[in-house]
Amino acid sequence: MVDLGPLAIASAVMVAALLAVLGSWLRAARRPSSRTAPERVPFTGGQPPSVHAWSRYHVRYYPMALLFLAFDMEMVFMYPWAVVFVGEGLVAMVEMGMFIGILLLGVLYAWRERAFRWT
Amino acid sequence: MTSLIARLAAGSDARVFAIAGAGSRAAVQDLRLADGVELVDSPRAADVLLVAGALDPRHHDAVRRVHDALPHPRASVRWAGSRDVLVPGAAHVALGTDPSSAIRAAHQALMHGTMPTEPPLLPDEDPAPWRGVGPYGQGGSGMTGGTPYGRPMAELAPDRDGLRLDLLPTRLGPFSSLLPHGLELDLRVSGDILVGVEVAATGLAASATSASLFIRALTEPVSIAELEIGRARDHLRWTADALRLQGLRALSLRALRLGLHAAPGDHRAVERLAADIARTGIYRWSLPAADGARTELLAGARLGPSTRASGVGEDERQADPAYRSLGFAPLLGAGGGAAAAWRLRLAEAVRSLELAGRGGDTRSAVTGAVESPRGRLALGDAPSGRALGLLPTLIEGMEWGDAMATIAALDIDLDELGAVTAGTSAEAAA
Amino acid sequence: MSVALDAALGVAAVGGMLAVGSLALAFADEAAAAAVAGAPLRPRRLLVAPFRRAASALLTATTTTERPDGGGRALAPALLAGLAALAMSMLPLAPGVVPADPSTGFVVFSAAVAFVMIAVFLHGWSPNSTLPLHGAYRFGAVALSFQIPFLLAMLATALPAQSLSLVRIVEAQAPLWNVIREPLGLPIYLIVGLAVGLWGPLNLPDADDLAGGTSAEDSGLARWLWEAARTSMLVAVAALGSAAFLGGYLGPLLPGPVWVALKTALLLAVMAVARHALARARIERFVEVAWVLLVPLALLNVFVSGAFLL
Repeated sequence: MVDLGPLAIASAVMVAALLAVLGSWLRAARRPSSRTAPERVPFTGGQPPSVHAWSRYHVRYYPMALLFLAFDMEMVFMYPWAVVFVGEGLVAMVEMGMFIGILLLGVLYAWRERAFRWT
Repeated sequence: MTSLIARLAAGSDARVFAIAGAGSRAAVQDLRLADGVELVDSPRAADVLLVAGALDPRHHDAVRRVHDALPHPRASVRWAGSRDVLVPGAAHVALGTDPSSAIRAAHQALMHGTMPTEPPLLPDEDPAPWRGVGPYGQGGSGMTGGTPYGRPMAELAPDRDGLRLDLLPTRLGPFSSLLPHGLELDLRVSGDILVGVEVAATGLAASATSASLFIRALTEPVSIAELEIGRARDHLRWTADALRLQGLRALSLRALRLGLHAAPGDHRAVERLAADIARTGIYRWSLPAADGARTELLAGARLGPSTRASGVGEDERQADPAYRSLGFAPLLGAGGGAAAAWRLRLAEAVRSLELAGRGGDTRSAVTGAVESPRGRLALGDAPSGRALGLLPTLIEGMEWGDAMATIAALDIDLDELGAVTAGTSAEAAA
Repeated sequence: MSVALDAALGVAAVGGMLAVGSLALAFADEAAAAAVAGAPLRPRRLLVAPFRRAASALLTATTTTERPDGGGRALAPALLAGLAALAMSMLPLAPGVVPADPSTGFVVFSAAVAFVMIAVFLHGWSPNSTLPLHGAYRFGAVALSFQIPFLLAMLATALPAQSLSLVRIVEAQAPLWNVIREPLGLPIYLIVGLAVGLWGPLNLPDADDLAGGTSAEDSGLARWLWEAARTSMLVAVAALGSAAFLGGYLGPLLPGPVWVALKTALLLAVMAVARHALARARIERFVEVAWVLLVPLALLNVFVSGAFLL
């Protein structure tokens, strides 16, 4: 049985900080400063924008984001692996080494295909 | 408690957004060294607006819009030769005198609550009528509910990798910290890549005059020592701005302090600064790599350090016998690109200070065309004009940060451009 | 009941540590800036400057933009501060003294670091303004690149501890600190920590070439809260870094909490110097270096330090 007490305390600390900042933000925002339309114009140097900034942004690093997904899954395996590493010894090392080795080939391939460059 | 907060707040640095009108660029830059004043990059972060120098009527609405972007409580200071009504209620400080005490006073009065905040200057009008149209007052249909504030959403555009995503049109300037004030760029941005660039407007005031040494040297012989010290100081001021853009604010202040008073004896100090800048890794980590086509464009444009950085020995000083008698030979870079231009500017600053030390009272012998810190300067033909012509081609296709670093490397001076072109139009009129 | 009391104590302790750490960072930053700029250091002015700045933020109104995502704007600094507090709550202060010690503390810390991306993105996206929007998407590239080297550098510290608990990770350093056992770990952790805390050479989302990036539209208290949340995150990164690599409370003569404070202050000083001595990386350069250099080095660190444990 996992003792949830420490997690509860950590979460409580997080929520307390979150609420404290959120509360002050909202209190400050109750005194609105931008009452007229020109006061609300987003700033890019003094000219009004012609369109809203929200758009279907071209995220050019998406091949890297895909590579990240692969490595993020690997991290999930590595947490328990780190705990049992000393106990399992060389077997754990070799097995994880093979797994990581294959993933690293993916990085090399992505590098060759210029996945880390988009400009 | 309230009075304690007010007292503390009044002691904080006045945060100033500065609009640098014609003839005030260097003076505004010097304010970075002023005590109790901090220049900020966005009016949202400021509590005092400083409007410096002459501004054309066509910029007045932009000034008012910047003014209205400041949060309450706000105040403004007009720093100009004569009083005008551009910002009503602004404290007036004559150009040539130090505005920092007026700025601090305004900031303190605001924080103590003894000075009322300035009301907005522009009328409360929506850019286009949109309220009340549609079921929630949002107006029409579309991704987030039509055209709120009368502004449409960005539109679809094809792109080089075959994806069709939104193209974000962005008007940057005239008073952006990323561009020399007065310059307006119409950018079309797809993701973080600039896919379309147009220079929408340049120039601050039609009546621009410049007391610059190099413009004086166009019509009369000027002491070489004076010219070369001016060149070194210009290069150091440029370095200060460029370092700031790269986030190295402390080094930027050091460069600016050096640029303020650099004299022939300071060449060692400049060398040390150059070495410290190189040690930050800026050439390897921060600046875009040289690119063949762009380097070629710059190589043919007589843009001073930007041209010589690619190894082209183009320098008006070579044609001047006075310079030749001092044993002048231009410094050359290799390979071009922003990093090479940076290094060359710093190396030239050192060389100029040495030259100034040797110059004695030798005067320049050639007028009509001189080598300004930005390149070949002649009546009716300023390097900044040529740089502006190249700018769209240079930064199109670049990532946003690379583009901003490239613009900075061009060292566009609209005052110099205005003075030289105003001179020719006056001659033509005569 | 005792959990509630512990939680209340934890909130007070973490709040205090983040505040003190943020002040220490502000002083270190000013001192480093003055040293690099060649300007005189004015200690009295320096000590009151953060309080003055906070007071002026309190008296300045908060602006809004056209049709912002109001909820997102409010949530972004709160979330970032909350994540910093979450990480900080797991900092071992002395043998047996820690606000919270979940058996999976390391996983919780990783989750907090991963969520920083959400907070920063929200902060840039919510004002509906061009420059903050670019900052937001830029941080996407930064965060996806720093995640793996950051976690791998930390992970190597869990091998000798045979546990994911941060308390165990500190205890396992009694014979030998991790900074010596796995020399690549701390440098990688610190490099990437700069990006997690949006600081100095890796402050890409709020960079000057975006005129302030995600915070370009912030004013008054909203701006101050974001800055405070950013510094808190950096303090948390430094504090947990000192626990994971510098032996936390372990050390001769002085009591544990003093060692924690000294080691955290050391890492904060390194970060303050880095801000003024190192240039900001281009986004593309950082992404490439993170994947091609830092990930393999971090893996090498894991396996080489692991081999010595067998």
